[in-house]
Amino acid sequence: MTHTRVNSCRQCLHFENAPATVEAALPGLNSLSSAYAAVRSDDGVCRFHSRYVAASSLCNAATSTRQS
Amino acid sequence: MSDLFKKEDWWAVWIGLALIGGAVLTFAYGGSIKWLAIAPQKWSHLSEVGTQLQQSGPRFLALFGVWAFAFGLSAAALGLSVARFLPAFLALFIVAGVLYFLGLWDQASHYNLEPPLVALVLGLAVSNSWGTPRRLQPALRVEFYIKTGIVLLGASLPLTLIAWAGPVAIGQAAIVSLVTFGVIYLSAVRLGLDRRLAATLGTGGAVCGVSGAIAIGGAVGAKKEDVSVAISLVVVWAIVMIFALPLVARSLHLSTGIAGAWIGTSEFADAAGLAAAQTYGAYAGTVAGVNGQPDSAVTAFTLMKVIGRDMWIGVWAFVLSLLATTRWERTGVESRTDAGEIWRRFPKFVIGFLVASAIVTFISRGYDYAAYKKVVLPALVAPLQVLRTWTFTLAFLSIGLTTRLRDFAAVGARPFYAFTAGVAANVILGYVLSTQVFGSFWDRLGQ
Repeated sequence: MTHTRVNSCRQCLHFENAPATVEAALPGLNSLSSAYAAVRSDDGVCRFHSRYVAASSLCNAATSTRQS
Repeated sequence: MSDLFKKEDWWAVWIGLALIGGAVLTFAYGGSIKWLAIAPQKWSHLSEVGTQLQQSGPRFLALFGVWAFAFGLSAAALGLSVARFLPAFLALFIVAGVLYFLGLWDQASHYNLEPPLVALVLGLAVSNSWGTPRRLQPALRVEFYIKTGIVLLGASLPLTLIAWAGPVAIGQAAIVSLVTFGVIYLSAVRLGLDRRLAATLGTGGAVCGVSGAIAIGGAVGAKKEDVSVAISLVVVWAIVMIFALPLVARSLHLSTGIAGAWIGTSEFADAAGLAAAQTYGAYAGTVAGVNGQPDSAVTAFTLMKVIGRDMWIGVWAFVLSLLATTRWERTGVESRTDAGEIWRRFPKFVIGFLVASAIVTFISRGYDYAAYKKVVLPALVAPLQVLRTWTFTLAFLSIGLTTRLRDFAAVGARPFYAFTAGVAANVILGYVLSTQVFGSFWDRLGQ
């Protein structure tokens, strides 16, 4: 396994933005809104920083894992 | 896959416009989709319900088939399991049908059994006592049903009405949104809360509820638990307002147009506001002192909320994300925003709402008002209103069934105080603007 730098949260190992995952991470979200809504864009949860961030964001810890 | 097929906003547009297209085509050839758009009729004895079901059973089945196909197809495209969605949707459709029938009992208003409120109370009771059955959960898509209903609602509103009332709605909503956001944001910052949480709470209260909170939470990179706090506060206050706003408006004898505008200004979420507005509309003609057309409450609400508030969420996200990047303390995550944010977060179902209005306005152009009421309304518009009522009922039922209070994040006193200050400012200012400043305008809309 090797870690490589990535250009945005979208490609990061720590970033999760599948709608079902986002709804599970934010209880009550689907009561009066939805993770499938356009307003969410591609935002998701960063498990490294424990933040809810846009997919286009970036930080120093952003990495992807590749099988070697 | 393109956003055109992976976001529920677009699927609401496709479903709504496909139904309107079918209705228009049938109308053009001298027919109507009335057979398909089946609605329960008024009844006074249970035996009459049995008779209706016996006579119209195939029509209810056909309607279920159309909804199951449309929502099932979109569920598949959105990545949900169709095998789990369809049985759950069948159960939801049956309960929604029972509530629709209940609302048409001739004693329903006597016992205050307004379908939106009954749906909400029933759902809340189930989800917060023994729990919503796991098998039902795949079909509980509040926002999807409500967005589809709003697209269908566009067919009831002439484009000229939207053009006439839109600027007033935008003006009133802008005043209230800016004041409410300012009150929540400044209160939160003064109470020592993080600016990103303050902004997330502020847009949740001022713009479009939970959708506003997640849009801004993502745009500014808020802490995950702070987004959860904002969601909890918005949902709880939105549910309180579903009951409180119609009750207060009723005691003040507001007309349906004025009450709809007030609800559109002071409710936080589309689904919650439509539940309150539909409830209030039903008071017209049944509650002494409540004047106006029943549909005017929903019309005024939609103009105020959708055109006045929802449409602008992308602008809020862009501006606040710029502020977060350039002015606020750094978090370790660098937000890289651009003006494209405005379109990416734009609630696309609004496009369907406007296109629906344009289509029916175009079809109706050759008819004077009398001919419109005699020909276009019963054959084209009324069946689409029935389909809209079905989608709204599915949504109202889903609100309660998905609201499990014990799962919500612990909120803490300071976020509660800040958000509640905004709620108070919003409700008072919304009342003054809807009844005093623009009162005659909204009243006229309701006649």
